[in-house]
Amino acid sequence: MSASENIQVPAPAIRSKPLLLRHLPYFIGVAIVVALAARMQFDGYVHNILMQATTFSIAVFGLSVVLGLCGQINLAQAAFFGFGAYAVGIGTTDWHLSFWLCLVAGSVIALLAGAFLGASTLRLGGHYLAMVTISFQQIVTLVMINAIWLTHGPDGVSNIGRPALFQSSQSYLAFCVAALGIVGYLVWHLPDTRLGRAMRAVRDNELAAGVNGIDVFRTKVYAFAVCAALGGLAGGLFAGGFAYVSPDQFSFAESIVFLTMSLLGGVASPIGSAIGTGLLILIPEWLRFLKSVPGLYLAIYGLSVILIIRFMPDGIWGFVSNAFTRLRARAKAPPAVAALQLRPATTGGNIVLEVTGLSKHFGGLKAVDGVDIAVRRGGVHALIGPNGSGKTTTLNVLSGLYKATSGKIVLDGTDITNMAPHQRTAAGLGRTFQNIRLFRSMTALENVEIGAERPGNTMIGKGDDALTERAMEALTFVGLGSRANELISSFSYGHQRLIEIARALASNPTLLLLDEPAAGLNSTEKLELHELLKRIAAQGLTILIIDHDMTLVSEAAQHITVLNFGRRIADGESLAVLRHPDVVSAYLGSE
Amino acid sequence: MKLTRRDFAAGIVAGIAAPHIISSARAQGATLKIGMCAPVTGPAAESGGYAVKGAKLALEAVNKAGGILGKQGELIVEDDQTTNPGIVLAFSKLAANAEIVGFLGSIRSTQVHAMAPDVIKLGKPVMIGGTDPNLTHMGNKWLFRFRPNDSYSGRVIAEYGVSTLGKKKWAVLHSTDAFGTAGGKALTAALEKLGAPPVLDQGYANQSQDFTPVVLAIKQSGADILGSYFTFENDLGIFARQLRQLGVNIPWVGSPSIVNITALKLAGPALYNTYGVADYAEDSSEGSKAFGKLYRDAVKVAPDNQSSWTYDAITVLSAAINKAGSTDPDKIRDAILAIKKFPGAEGEYNFDQNGDGLHGYNIVKNDKGNITFDKHIEFND
Amino acid sequence: MDLFLQLLFTGIGIGAVYALVALGFVLIFRATNVVNFAQGEFSMVAAYLMVYFAVDLGWPYWLSFLLALAGMALLGVIFNLGVYYPLRHRSYLPVIIATIGASILLANSVLAIYGPQPQVLPGWFETPGIQLGPVYLDSQYLLIIGVTILLVIFNFWFFEKTLLGKKLQATSQDKEMASLLGISVSTMIMITFIYSAVLGGLAGLLVAPVLFVSIQMGSTIALKAFAATIIGGFGDVTGAIIGGLALGVIETFGAAYISVPYKDGFAFLVLIAFLIFRPQGIFGERVAEKA
Repeated sequence: MSASENIQVPAPAIRSKPLLLRHLPYFIGVAIVVALAARMQFDGYVHNILMQATTFSIAVFGLSVVLGLCGQINLAQAAFFGFGAYAVGIGTTDWHLSFWLCLVAGSVIALLAGAFLGASTLRLGGHYLAMVTISFQQIVTLVMINAIWLTHGPDGVSNIGRPALFQSSQSYLAFCVAALGIVGYLVWHLPDTRLGRAMRAVRDNELAAGVNGIDVFRTKVYAFAVCAALGGLAGGLFAGGFAYVSPDQFSFAESIVFLTMSLLGGVASPIGSAIGTGLLILIPEWLRFLKSVPGLYLAIYGLSVILIIRFMPDGIWGFVSNAFTRLRARAKAPPAVAALQLRPATTGGNIVLEVTGLSKHFGGLKAVDGVDIAVRRGGVHALIGPNGSGKTTTLNVLSGLYKATSGKIVLDGTDITNMAPHQRTAAGLGRTFQNIRLFRSMTALENVEIGAERPGNTMIGKGDDALTERAMEALTFVGLGSRANELISSFSYGHQRLIEIARALASNPTLLLLDEPAAGLNSTEKLELHELLKRIAAQGLTILIIDHDMTLVSEAAQHITVLNFGRRIADGESLAVLRHPDVVSAYLGSE
Repeated sequence: MKLTRRDFAAGIVAGIAAPHIISSARAQGATLKIGMCAPVTGPAAESGGYAVKGAKLALEAVNKAGGILGKQGELIVEDDQTTNPGIVLAFSKLAANAEIVGFLGSIRSTQVHAMAPDVIKLGKPVMIGGTDPNLTHMGNKWLFRFRPNDSYSGRVIAEYGVSTLGKKKWAVLHSTDAFGTAGGKALTAALEKLGAPPVLDQGYANQSQDFTPVVLAIKQSGADILGSYFTFENDLGIFARQLRQLGVNIPWVGSPSIVNITALKLAGPALYNTYGVADYAEDSSEGSKAFGKLYRDAVKVAPDNQSSWTYDAITVLSAAINKAGSTDPDKIRDAILAIKKFPGAEGEYNFDQNGDGLHGYNIVKNDKGNITFDKHIEFND
Repeated sequence: MDLFLQLLFTGIGIGAVYALVALGFVLIFRATNVVNFAQGEFSMVAAYLMVYFAVDLGWPYWLSFLLALAGMALLGVIFNLGVYYPLRHRSYLPVIIATIGASILLANSVLAIYGPQPQVLPGWFETPGIQLGPVYLDSQYLLIIGVTILLVIFNFWFFEKTLLGKKLQATSQDKEMASLLGISVSTMIMITFIYSAVLGGLAGLLVAPVLFVSIQMGSTIALKAFAATIIGGFGDVTGAIIGGLALGVIETFGAAYISVPYKDGFAFLVLIAFLIFRPQGIFGERVAEKA
């Protein structure tokens, strides 16, 4: 598993080599381990320990996807593990089906159950998910115990079959290790795929993920389903390995064990999962003497969970790999690239964004009340107003974070009033946030790549290389190309703002919404921002900007709409609007 | 939120620092080794301790009387952690030791189920205390049982209620766990055989906080006698109190937990005048009395079935090996199956071809909190 | 009809227990946005403290009761400092996991000390209960229902009429604003943990004579109480009480008329149904839109 260092800082320059060749060492390593498992003589005890560690690891890989990659909690992994185990158990004994069929069926059942469970609750916050997964776990346990006609009840299922090819314990173990190797490979590379990036984005910042074109809900459901399916697969392998399953092996307590394995090793990577699983199977064997007092051992276990969370949030592997990352020289930025091309779509007419009668009420409070805005194609349109005038609310309604109470929003000929944020992004909307929302665990390049991956982006070719290229163009456009592979936390506030703009630009939007881009910038940075806006506008991209900075607004914008108390009080060509008596009094009155 | 069932635990700090230190006697060939899986840790650690003591007492007596095949017997105990995967690991660890000629398994039926495939693979005799009737009826010829199985407890409860107490309208109440389900099934089957099918057959889930619906169902069913299989004493205690509070005072014959010390403490007067079946009752036979005295002297605790079955298992296994004159598994098996009228602490052993040694139970009565021996009911089929 | 009334009384009694524990959840959730998975263990620890003082040491019942509650206040402080406070700036996920760890720690520490056998705690009253026509009223359940009613009134008075209560309210609604107003947010959170631990403990002490004192007593009740808070509307005090009572009644009738073994399943089925069809609960507002 030596190639694992690539996880931390993917170096796009190497990407040009064929994937299989680069990962050959991994497969050779797996092949050696499989061969060892098939050849070496173990006594039954070691064999059982290895069997348990191998199958449990696969289930814990599932958790590393849902918890580590996507940031969602699952306290029912043992139930999904049980689905797989019972599918193989009941299928091979009572129904005399083929092991392979049962294994697949178990994984699919777990996947469907996971998807259903996720779909029913993932729209809600994480606490609900914790609660629902616990409830689900309890119901599954009750059914396993009480549906005796199906599950044999508490007696469990014994004499479970194995595939004809792997009848001996030794060959079956080798088969499970091979499965572990393949699943480990897939989970290891998931973060670098489109789905994996989406999951990481959701974990880091759900709102930003949504406005960057990621279907947050669906991504979470996928993560949950993947986790459940891996649990099912692991359970099926487990059942074949031990030839006996009973309900108490799939209880809530077991789900907690899986969770702790994942946390201990490091929730973010499959290597961590494997380490955590191995340790939590071995440590109890080493520390038997502590267990002569019932409870003492588990008390230490509980305390360790608190301590790990407190002092080692990334787990053992995270701890180790962080140390390595610090030692290793930073990966070089990818080579220079061509200049960024922006080609905003032009399907609609002369008006890019047409807002009519837009209202947003919070209970009795009319934050936005019957506002009309028409943004002409090309150039910069500013939306200004005193504090509390409803500017940001308007922007949030435009990008779909709030649902409009009434009114209509048409973007480039498409009615987007009732769309979810990611659908609006797909329709051509790009935006930045007043309080910067970047994906903090990723590099600048990865952040911008997520923007570039916008569904409907016509400016990007196929494949990872094209994606990286597009993202590099955008980063270079804002002047940060040479620092592409640095983590977000190493950038100054002003630069983070630029990265956020680059992320939006990479998606080649039809309309760019900038929410107070000058907030928190010093005067030099403001000048640079102004220059940047000019260069963007020069490429024909329409900008709708909200800002307090009158200098910036009056210099950059050709057209201004003014809001006060949620209503439009002026609209028109910049200089005229700024001289409008209502506008003057609104500003002077408020200051 | 609790993990007592399973004992995989973190202990990371200590885990990394402390290497594994467990040593066992390694005198090659000097002793004859018997392996034992027992809950040294986990929820049943306390009763596991009693089981080990019972086995050790028996082995001391055997060694004093000349040992096994002229060698001293040695007991190797492996912790089963009171869990199914735990016992699979423990047994595989023992099985890896080729010198071990026979084993003691678990008193828990699910644990025996879990280890059963490995027992067949190994092909050496394993003494068990789990009372699920299936264990000796599923084609595993290496399991030998040292407690009467649940089909007998069911039959004894039925027999006592129908013949001795003369009641025919039964309510059967059982936990839905492995033990309760098997027991409830056996009792129902026995009652049907006696021509008194239960008017109510009710399961409940362990750790129920309230039994009002169950009590009301019993009341409504018009039953005139209650047979029960409770697993946990707190469930039994809550039920017993609510039963009395809601005015149900029909005779009640329960599985062994009804005369368990904790249950007596929790339920108090609510259990007065109930009957229970017990595989070990100190006054039931000469063998029981003798074991009771030995155990009290050595351990200073009242004897119970946790220790009596392991005591008998070691005694019988040693006798069988001596009689077979060999440690060949098949010969030991034949010798065990040939054992008849062998007086043990649990009762008189008459092995049948399935490997069941005992075929009856004692009925005991709760006489104002004191447990008194009432009668022994034995079956010959 | 007799049957119906008896079941109704039992359901409300059990429901009142859920409601008491649920109240503790809601208070911590409102103050910290954290679901405390160790809330059930608070009840269990309090009951064991009471066993220690009243049974093992043989001290007077009322004194043991007060000491047990004082012990819970202390546990609330330790819990806050050891589990919540160090993680207060992290997301909800680490905090949830830490509270799960705390629940395992508490349950098994008590197990290590007292062993797995359940303990007996005598009830408050000499008479076990009264027969009211066809219905038997267990005196301990009557007490639990009474205390629940008193607590609802007390909570209303405390949070709406006292300065401390209003400060706590302000803190739970907007921490930044509260600290601008000169309210010490960390003190308010500390008070919340203490109050919530004492409430959880009170529930444990009241229910112990009925359900006996066991390691599992807390976790079983806590899961139901969680469900109750969601059914009632997360973060809503009245909702928690109504949710708890409703759950107790649903469960009891479900057991009586549908299936006893699946009794525990009803609570969770109702819960999942609520999450799908009415996630805001009976009393809750729409799950907040967030920006």
